[in-house]
Amino acid sequence: MRPAFLLLLASAVPCLGETATFPGLVAPIFEHNCVKCHGPTKQKAGLRLDSHAAVLVGSKDGVVIKAGDPEGSELFRRISLSPSDDDFMPSGDRPPLTPAEMTALRSWISAGAPDSATFDVIPLEQAAAPQPTAAPDYGPRLAQATALARSLGVTLAPRSRIPTDGLVLRTASDPARCDDAALARLAPVGDLIVEAELARTRVTDKGMQSVGGWVNLERLDVTRTVVTSDGVTFLAPLGRLDSLNLTQTKVDDRGIALAKRMPSLRHLWAFEGP
Amino acid sequence: MPQTPHDHGADPCIDHGGEHPSVLDLPFVPLALKREWLEAETRRHFLARGSKALAWAGLATLLGRSAPHLLADTSALPDRRPHFAPKAKRAIYLFMAGAPSQFETWDYKPKLSGMFAQNLPESVRGGQVLTGMTAGQVGLPIAPSFCGFSQQGQSRQWVSDLLPWTGKVVDDLCVIKSLYTEAINHEPAILTITTGNMFPGKPSLGSWLAYGLGAINEELPTFVVMTSKMPVKSNVQALSNRLWSSGFLSPEYSAVALRSGSEPVLYLKDPDGLDRDVRKQMIAGVNELNHQLFERVGDPEINTRISQYEMAFRMQASVPELSDFSDEPASTWDLYGPRAREPGTYAYNCLMARRLAERGVRFTQIFLRTWDNHTNLPKGIKAMTEDCDQPTYGLITDLKRRGMLDDTLVVWGGEFGRTVYSQGELTHENYGRDHHPRCFSMWMCGAGTRPGMSYGETDDFSYNIVKDPVHVRDLHATILHQFGFDHNKLTFKFQGLDQRLTGVLPARVIKEVLV
Repeated sequence: MRPAFLLLLASAVPCLGETATFPGLVAPIFEHNCVKCHGPTKQKAGLRLDSHAAVLVGSKDGVVIKAGDPEGSELFRRISLSPSDDDFMPSGDRPPLTPAEMTALRSWISAGAPDSATFDVIPLEQAAAPQPTAAPDYGPRLAQATALARSLGVTLAPRSRIPTDGLVLRTASDPARCDDAALARLAPVGDLIVEAELARTRVTDKGMQSVGGWVNLERLDVTRTVVTSDGVTFLAPLGRLDSLNLTQTKVDDRGIALAKRMPSLRHLWAFEGP
Repeated sequence: MPQTPHDHGADPCIDHGGEHPSVLDLPFVPLALKREWLEAETRRHFLARGSKALAWAGLATLLGRSAPHLLADTSALPDRRPHFAPKAKRAIYLFMAGAPSQFETWDYKPKLSGMFAQNLPESVRGGQVLTGMTAGQVGLPIAPSFCGFSQQGQSRQWVSDLLPWTGKVVDDLCVIKSLYTEAINHEPAILTITTGNMFPGKPSLGSWLAYGLGAINEELPTFVVMTSKMPVKSNVQALSNRLWSSGFLSPEYSAVALRSGSEPVLYLKDPDGLDRDVRKQMIAGVNELNHQLFERVGDPEINTRISQYEMAFRMQASVPELSDFSDEPASTWDLYGPRAREPGTYAYNCLMARRLAERGVRFTQIFLRTWDNHTNLPKGIKAMTEDCDQPTYGLITDLKRRGMLDDTLVVWGGEFGRTVYSQGELTHENYGRDHHPRCFSMWMCGAGTRPGMSYGETDDFSYNIVKDPVHVRDLHATILHQFGFDHNKLTFKFQGLDQRLTGVLPARVIKEVLV
């Protein structure tokens, strides 16, 4: 199934800036993403997306396409929402539309949602920009990451089902097993780690050197460890670090000052310092 | 392939070797039903073989943490990933059983002071049926709150004088004044708020989270319940484990209830002279026997029993450290108050909840009873607020200073509200309040809830909601949302339905109370 799906996509989505038609470009996008629930077998919300006429008719709640106005079109609004939104489409666990597909739909609606006439596929700055992602797709490396973590006595758990949400490093089951050596060995999957829960572990400043290589890290908790200000210096490369918890560590004013200089850091805790 | 049920005759029974007649031999059982049984039987054996690996994997984990285990390889486990990135990693639910009066806590109604003892207008009541406790009263005299209110914090929220400590953290709270429920009596209302349904048998909120998320810390239960010593000894609500049961989910998702005595778990210590290795071997032996039984009869409850033995064994190691408060800094006792040293008090439980949260317990629910002030409300609610005010403040402050409030959701509230009119005699000093499901107040704090806000409004009598109603199922949907779940999709198939915490009626995530 999957190769065929990819092949179709490849043929359906042309390079940006080309001209396209509804049957050639838009209909296949509906076909892949929507028609299962909005087609001949099911018509959720009374909506069918399996023909140009049906698309323009809309759902039981009204039209879903306002020709010339992508932002004002209910269909476009729904596919543009955050996947966590109740109204987000496609619903269920189906993947969101790709940026290329979004661009195609936006261009088609902007051009007046024509039936057989050609329209230009215009890349918009926003439409072309990919959704901000936390980390690279964990899919291909999840098995490797979880096996590696298990061998080290820690856990790497997906933050969510969205594969670019990254992995959470957990150590709470057996914090004593997590030490600097274990952190060093996580390097091959370091770019997938977005949160590191290292409270009460045996990690030291040396371990922070490894952590400093986890470029997508957003949250780091080293509560109740022996990490000092020297350890904080190793965190400087972390351009996405949002939260740093230094509660009950050996980090002194120097380390706090260092942390405060990190441009992305918004939350810093240092309760019960030295 | 399922065997074909045969009509009863003189032949030996083909399905079980002919040693005994079975229900399949009964002549009055319809053939179609027999076929269904046989299919179920085949399915059960198939499942039994499949989950056998699970039991062994668990055992292997017990016998040596380094042993390669198969847990991750089985498809029988639920997908532990939330639908989207969660804001909350854990929650502490401060459940005020018995229903605190909103008039003396969070829903300030200044106009009532001019209406002392006036009869509640029929237009406000709107023909609502009253409980048997007040339906027979001559009148429904309005009882203004005996205590004052003041605006606190930068958010200038109105806080009762009975909550001076909680008032200090009001800028962290999101107070919802427009909760409502259908149930007017305690048991159905408490079940509704703990399990989403007033009929027993549904999984508790904590069980859904344990099922959906799994454990952060394998050495401790995922869902912990603590009942608190009661500040007063009247109007006590019965609590039972159906409030924290996993219902139709596997029993491993039920809460472990910690006792309110000096020993949180009874018989936790091994007897003198019993080596931990001997205990380990003993449990491995018992589990081996259980495993053999499972092979024979295929009852999944046996797997649960095996996992409970393992959890108990692990808790032998993890609980003593958990309940040893000697590592707490001196500031802890100033924060939670002196009663935090006394095991089983609400204050102690709040501190324990923080320690559980630190160690990765997903959901801790503290029950504090005797808020049910039908009579002598001023005296009763003073005793209650004195017991819970400072520890609640302490918990929030402690979580905040330790950087845990960002991903720990704290919820405070009861099961319904109370009436504006007095139950029984009304004086300026004394009155009572009956049950009132049409509106009540709660608050949430932390984990992406909007701090320093008040949501929803009731009328001048706090009798009807006039703005932004929030049903209990909306609250549940919102809590699940903070844990990364679409409440419509966190389901479990049971009795032909994709069951979910929020039930079949539409529920709404209250986005307005979220950051």
